[in-house]
Amino acid sequence: MIFGYLDPGSGSLILQAVIGGLTGIGVAYKAYRARRGLGKVDPDSEHDGDEENAGDAALPAES
Amino acid sequence: MSTPDPGSFRDPASRVVIDGDIVMRLLDELGLEGWRALSATDFFRNAVAEGRLIDSVEIEPPDGSAGALRHPRLDLITYPYEWTFSMLRDAALLQLDLLEGALSAGLTIKDATPYNIQFVDGRPMFIDIGSFETYRKGEPWIGYRQFTRQFLFPLMLRAWVGVPFQPWLRGDLEGPTPDQMSKLLAGRKRFNTSALLHVRLQARMESRMADRAMRQELSEAGFSAEMILANVKKLRSLVETLTVDEGEQGWSTYVECSHVTRDRTAKSEFLDSALKKFVPGRVVDLGANDGHFSRIAAENGALAIAIDSYEPVLDEVYRGSAGTGLAVALTDLANPSPSQGWAGQERGSLMERARPDLIIAYGVIHHLIYGASIPPREVVRWLASFRCPVVVEFVSPSDEMVIKLVGNKLPHELHPGGEESEFRAILDGSFVTVDEMGLSSGTRTLFALEPR
Repeated sequence: MIFGYLDPGSGSLILQAVIGGLTGIGVAYKAYRARRGLGKVDPDSEHDGDEENAGDAALPAES
Repeated sequence: MSTPDPGSFRDPASRVVIDGDIVMRLLDELGLEGWRALSATDFFRNAVAEGRLIDSVEIEPPDGSAGALRHPRLDLITYPYEWTFSMLRDAALLQLDLLEGALSAGLTIKDATPYNIQFVDGRPMFIDIGSFETYRKGEPWIGYRQFTRQFLFPLMLRAWVGVPFQPWLRGDLEGPTPDQMSKLLAGRKRFNTSALLHVRLQARMESRMADRAMRQELSEAGFSAEMILANVKKLRSLVETLTVDEGEQGWSTYVECSHVTRDRTAKSEFLDSALKKFVPGRVVDLGANDGHFSRIAAENGALAIAIDSYEPVLDEVYRGSAGTGLAVALTDLANPSPSQGWAGQERGSLMERARPDLIIAYGVIHHLIYGASIPPREVVRWLASFRCPVVVEFVSPSDEMVIKLVGNKLPHELHPGGEESEFRAILDGSFVTVDEMGLSSGTRTLFALEPR
């Protein structure tokens, strides 16, 4: 991983996955769970665009 | 001897140095890798041919650099706080177009700042070749946040809130934060889908996710270039919808007032004569209004820089400037853009960048004297500081426009030096009058001046 000189902002990074379409919402959710140490999401249980997941990814709770 | 450009230091992979008229970009190993990847693409060749990307030739690097490029020197550098709405909007669309083209060619642009874009002959051109690098699978768009702060939010501020973005961008070079923008949005606009996503949701996620790195996690979760492309597409549609309400008071209601149109032919001929005498390469038109006199300078072969503080008219001048040799800069002459940024030098002052060989000051100094309360002696001192010929229109206190500008001020509240005889004496201290002409109104006189 090569890091640039510009701080992209974590919230902005995950937001662009959310904006990037239904697949992106799933990606944002996975990344967010991974960051919170909740482990990998079972690929079989993933649902792109799942409303509950989307809401969680879009408005992450305080941890 | 080459000197580093004071505005080019943030990216360690690429830095611009200037040696006279030669502009060089010095690259480290990473920067050179990015250049080699970019220059091998049709995307690069086409963008350069279309004038959307600055021409770049690889040259032998000096000691200490892995690579070096040579760029043409631009006639004028302007900053986004000196741009009109249409200029920032055109620059935003160019930024998005180039990112889309770069991604299609297996590259990305690692930042998204309007300082990487300049206006060349009335069209936006991307000048930071060092911003391109090979796209690495799983990488998000690092410049998204910067794009929103420096392009999108300023445009929203003008289009949706009705507030000019230039003072904000001049005061805070990074632009409004999502949280600040969220607080500025009011009414129905707060619930616009784009506002919810790019402004409010970004603000909320920024505050929730501070101090947590996400880049690696996103990559491992399967982030892809398609998501950036989807975002770019939505941002382009959004930027295209951002316009200034044509009916908004003060925007498109410019009326050709009698004081503007009167004597225009005489003033044009007087200027033309001065331009032929002094043959300036660069002409700065202070208080350029609709750009009429700037165009005369451009037609005489000069780079004409039209400066005004009234955005609606200057925006129209910009929109008609492609291919005319005319540049525009929005600034208040009573408070022109200063030198600022890191060490107070990162972004030079407007007049340092303008470097006039001749100044046109038609219909403007009475606004400084009576509108901004700047003493006539100070106005002349300022004009003389550029050490170049000046073509100036003097307006006497009995002129109808001056009477309007004076308003409720009493005679003893005005600075001395406003009467023509006094003004001539002030001019005489710094300039030699080479030509003069009284205008038909009887209250205005043109002077062509050469510095002593």
